[in-house]
Amino acid sequence: MVRFVERKWWYFAFSGLLIVPGLIFLLLGGLKPGIEFKGGTLLDVRFDTPPTVAEVTEVMAGLGRREAVIQVAEGGRIEIRTLEMKVEEQVAAEAALRAKFGANMKDVNPQVVSPSFSGELIDNAVRSIALASVLIVLLIAFAFRNFGWAAFRYGIAAIISLLHDAAVVLGFFAILGYFFNVEIDSLFVTAVLTIIGFSVHDTIVVFDRIRENLRLNPGEALNPVINFSIMQTLARSVITSLTVVLTLLALYLFGGFSMRNFALALLVGIVSGTYSSIFNASQIISLWQEVEDRLRHRATPSPA
Amino acid sequence: MRLSSWLVAIVAVLAIFVDIPKHQFSFPFNCPGVCVKIGDFQVNQEIKTHLGLDLQGGTQLVLQLQFDKLPPGSNATQSELQTQAIRVIENRINSLGVSEPVIQGLGTDKILLELPGVDDLQQANDVATKQAFLEVKVPDPADPTKYKSLEPPLTGADLNPNGVYVTFQSGTKPVVHFEFKGAASDRWVQISKDYLNKPVQITLDGKDVSAPVIQTVFTSGVGIIEGNFTTKSANELAIQLKSGSLPVPLAVIQSSRVEPTLGRDSVNRSIVAGAIGLLLVAFFMVAYYRLPGAIAVLALLYYTALTYAVFRLVPVTLTLAGIAGFILSIGMAVDANVLTFERLKEELRSGKSLRAAVEEGRRRAFPSILYSNLATIMTAGVLFWFGTGTVKGFALTLAIGVGVSFFTAVVVTQMLLHAAIEVSSLRRRRLYGVEEKAPETRAAGAPVAAV
Repeated sequence: MVRFVERKWWYFAFSGLLIVPGLIFLLLGGLKPGIEFKGGTLLDVRFDTPPTVAEVTEVMAGLGRREAVIQVAEGGRIEIRTLEMKVEEQVAAEAALRAKFGANMKDVNPQVVSPSFSGELIDNAVRSIALASVLIVLLIAFAFRNFGWAAFRYGIAAIISLLHDAAVVLGFFAILGYFFNVEIDSLFVTAVLTIIGFSVHDTIVVFDRIRENLRLNPGEALNPVINFSIMQTLARSVITSLTVVLTLLALYLFGGFSMRNFALALLVGIVSGTYSSIFNASQIISLWQEVEDRLRHRATPSPA
Repeated sequence: MRLSSWLVAIVAVLAIFVDIPKHQFSFPFNCPGVCVKIGDFQVNQEIKTHLGLDLQGGTQLVLQLQFDKLPPGSNATQSELQTQAIRVIENRINSLGVSEPVIQGLGTDKILLELPGVDDLQQANDVATKQAFLEVKVPDPADPTKYKSLEPPLTGADLNPNGVYVTFQSGTKPVVHFEFKGAASDRWVQISKDYLNKPVQITLDGKDVSAPVIQTVFTSGVGIIEGNFTTKSANELAIQLKSGSLPVPLAVIQSSRVEPTLGRDSVNRSIVAGAIGLLLVAFFMVAYYRLPGAIAVLALLYYTALTYAVFRLVPVTLTLAGIAGFILSIGMAVDANVLTFERLKEELRSGKSLRAAVEEGRRRAFPSILYSNLATIMTAGVLFWFGTGTVKGFALTLAIGVGVSFFTAVVVTQMLLHAAIEVSSLRRRRLYGVEEKAPETRAAGAPVAAV
């Protein structure tokens, strides 16, 4: 029997190890908003053989775009980021790039978001996160409706583990943003919400089993029941994640370039969700029970 | 066969039928897709895969209606102005001959415009934002160097659309010919009498286009706009005048353009990614679960065919993010099977007969399957509600995928499992990943006693 519950502090510590560095970079402002959230221009330029960053910088400087940030991206592409460009400026930029690079440049795919619109996109993202959180809590309440008074602690534990997963992904992207300028967009928010949905149901499956086993074994202590329940659901948790991870890996490695970071966020979140549902969620229930027992013990001292 | 088996079979045939590219046949007979006509109820749905702009190439604009730039005193509501603006843009786009454009209101103050195959950003921008407000102004008696509006104003709203076209002056110089209709026509003639030998100004969006001196009294409501036109710009102006002016100034607040070759590249990459994902999952399922795994793979193929058919029928416009949702849902679709098979194994290990174990596995896995699907559909619902563009596409395909997978996991997998255990050679326990002889006979769920 694997001692899932007894080693809970090790597992909590491992989670801390995953989350704390991410949180530090989060506080350092590592999470970089993409043009969707701050406004601006992204020119996705495809080449047969990509030129040097210096060459592109020169062209952009010739257009008076000294703020342009130029990055080499996979697939023979160069990404140019500037402040918002009017349509005329985009046309001029394309013409200037064409004049410089000729047939070596395959095409320019511009995307522009006005700063006035990005505020609205941020509002939308915040609103969807808020509504999703409310619905998730309702779903948890519904799933644990037969748990009686214990429903509350199961719900809290499920919420803590979904916060864990959100923190891991946010932290991961804060680190990527800090070191590699990876930006977040509405697809990133989508990924986080999808992860939360996945994480919650993963946790519910384990909790459901704990409840079933508690009912079948009245009088049994909580910790052994939790250990056994995790064992029983372990294969399912791991295999389901594995199939999702396999499809995401295919998407990450072979899918469209603009889906890469999206697939990566989902990958990290799904793996974290599986970890938290096996190694954190039930352990929180166990910890809760232990604390409660200790408090009760203190409140009614034994007659001896 | 039971009723549900028939249902599964019929759905499979229909799905494959819908999935086959349309040019290979038409249904019922000479109609490209589904055509139903019962009394007033008519459906004419072409069956095809709708690709979003990021996959087929084209230009997308989000336009902000600038109500603060309206002249004071106009009393149309925001949504009325939005509807008018949409109609004007629609007319203009139709004159350009763009196939399958999307023009829709976002809220009451924005318009989404998608122009598949349009690669000329400037043209798209002009179609959407050139107001084309034509007005005739006459010399101001108070200050002869200035012009003033007539009372009531004589504007492009009074033009006869059929009278607006491009002609060539002295054979080569393009000019725009116009014609006022009804009472405005008479006013135009009257102006030529009132202001004979004086200049009359024609303005476009508040700017002076031409100010010809009237040399003869007109006999009809016809006139010409001269300017430094090229044939192209004269044509564009003619289209804009014909379609009417935009009732409110518009500004582009988001634009994106994807070249068709990039779109094609993305489609190819997505197909490869989806196929590899499907193969990896199939390989893993068979390796791990043996016979039930193979059944799950069949169910997964069924799932893929059916989901794609739903996309083609609804129709769902597939975008890159949408395909990502679809591929992700393949991985998630397996979950329901995994839940069932893990239960099945457990029940078998506890000593139940194959048939009882299959039944018990289904019954006990069902609540978990329901919750997992509910959780995902709820998330997808929120994303669809608040999301824009890409996010909506992802949410929609994910939700459809999860919905279909619920059907395949609960109905199709079960049907196949039940069919399999009726075949005697498929009844060996080893095929289900369990030892031939049950090693222990304790009841499932009484495990703690063994600790």
